[in-house]
Amino acid sequence: MDLLAYTIIAGIMYGIFFGLVGLGLNIIFGVMRMINLAHGDFIMLGAFLAFWLFYLFGINPLLVIPIATTVFFLIGFPLYYAFVPRLSKSSDPEMLSFILFFGLSQVIEAVIILAFGNNQRSIPSTVFGTSSFSILGQSFPKAWLATTLVAFAAFIIIYWYFRHTRLGYATRAIMSNREEALISGIDIDRVSAIAFCLGLVFASVAGIFSYFMIGAAYPSMGPDLTTVSFAIIVLGSLGSPLGTVIGGLLYGVAVMFMQTYFSSWANILPYILLIVIMLLKPEGLFGKAARSA
Amino acid sequence: MDLLKVESVEAGYGLIQVLWRTSIIVEENQCVVLLGVNGAGKTTLLRTIIGLVEATKGDIVFDGENITGLKPNVRVSRGIAYMSELAVVPDLTVEENLKLGGYVKNRDDTRRMADKAYEYFPDLKAYRTRKAASLSGGQRKMLGVAKTLMSNPKILVMDEPSSGLSPKFVKKVIEILKLLYEEERPSMLIAEQNVAFLDLAQKIYILDKGKVTFTGSVNALKENDTIRETYFGIMH
Repeated sequence: MDLLAYTIIAGIMYGIFFGLVGLGLNIIFGVMRMINLAHGDFIMLGAFLAFWLFYLFGINPLLVIPIATTVFFLIGFPLYYAFVPRLSKSSDPEMLSFILFFGLSQVIEAVIILAFGNNQRSIPSTVFGTSSFSILGQSFPKAWLATTLVAFAAFIIIYWYFRHTRLGYATRAIMSNREEALISGIDIDRVSAIAFCLGLVFASVAGIFSYFMIGAAYPSMGPDLTTVSFAIIVLGSLGSPLGTVIGGLLYGVAVMFMQTYFSSWANILPYILLIVIMLLKPEGLFGKAARSA
Repeated sequence: MDLLKVESVEAGYGLIQVLWRTSIIVEENQCVVLLGVNGAGKTTLLRTIIGLVEATKGDIVFDGENITGLKPNVRVSRGIAYMSELAVVPDLTVEENLKLGGYVKNRDDTRRMADKAYEYFPDLKAYRTRKAASLSGGQRKMLGVAKTLMSNPKILVMDEPSSGLSPKFVKKVIEILKLLYEEERPSMLIAEQNVAFLDLAQKIYILDKGKVTFTGSVNALKENDTIRETYFGIMH
């Protein structure tokens, strides 16, 4: 019984974190209708940024969040304007974007290996104190609590952004119907560029806290994380950022159950989920048909 | 004064050319109806005016400025409000659609205009928080009209405001547009295949296979036998 309770509670915390892992990918897909195949690499970049800031200056991962936000906005804008408007003009932007982002993923990985070597890095979870906290009699490291709260806050922020800001409803207008958004006077490129940056920022924040939920970070971790993220957003619903939290929770609880009861199978779970969902309910469990647009 | 001038415009989709040296003029405070059957090129002409379709030849001059190369969102901010056949953004609420209509204006204007829109369309106020997708076809067109008015535009460009509506609602849309025109005198360009809209028109263009085949008033139109047969059938 204790094991079951632990599995469920850990699964929920794990799941909220994985919602954050997928969030950025889903924002970018929702707005640009492109799959950022370098998504996992931006998670890795976030992780490395946090590692070096911690290692060199002892900066707490929580304080890395504003730094990462600034850094990835500065990276995201030029990246968007260098590639995406040109892609959109081609006859098959989706296919080209696959190739482009795949290439970007390879470049990021190679550059990080060149710069820092292909080594594993980690931040000890004791950075949030050595004591643990308990929920329903089950105790967990404090770092889990911090991670879960950060991920939860990310969802609150994105919900608030979408519902209560001018840019937010402009972003939703683009997600709903690009052409109607355009003829309403929205500068699609500017709003998309901001959404792209937000996608990178949320990826990097997931990276900062990845040490406490998935262990060490290493330069080639990106592609696996992209696959997991893709499974999560397909599970929730493609193109609906808030659906990501549902996908994350389902994934998190499923992974915890697998690790607890059938641990040798846990690694192929995302792939199995992906195939099953694609076969049975390609619009996601809670989504409407994402591909109608 | 000429507000919108489309001069010998050619446009189309890839290898398929739709518009052939098409020219129309909308004067200030004038209501122009662009009549044509399905596939005549009405929508393409309107889309070229707002910039969704690129003009391969010719010029579009609006308010004295050549806007041929401008992006759609810039044309909207210059004062062209465009209502597509869809008319609204389906996943946004009624209120958000109105706000979106005023996107190019500042917030205070938007609030004032929204209140005015609710005055014109009291039905919409009751549905403020409902998604536009959940509205009936007629309500959606009403919201579309209200949305285009939100930017306080110099011209309203509407693509088939009657499409998908029952005759009762078509009548209602025409009444609303008439009332609007009498009170505010906006410049309007309405593309339609429904001749009931001719009541609104001060000038009529007939578009056929991408070319303007008739320009003139309602009376001139009714005197033209060929056209009368095509558009009015046996009615006189």
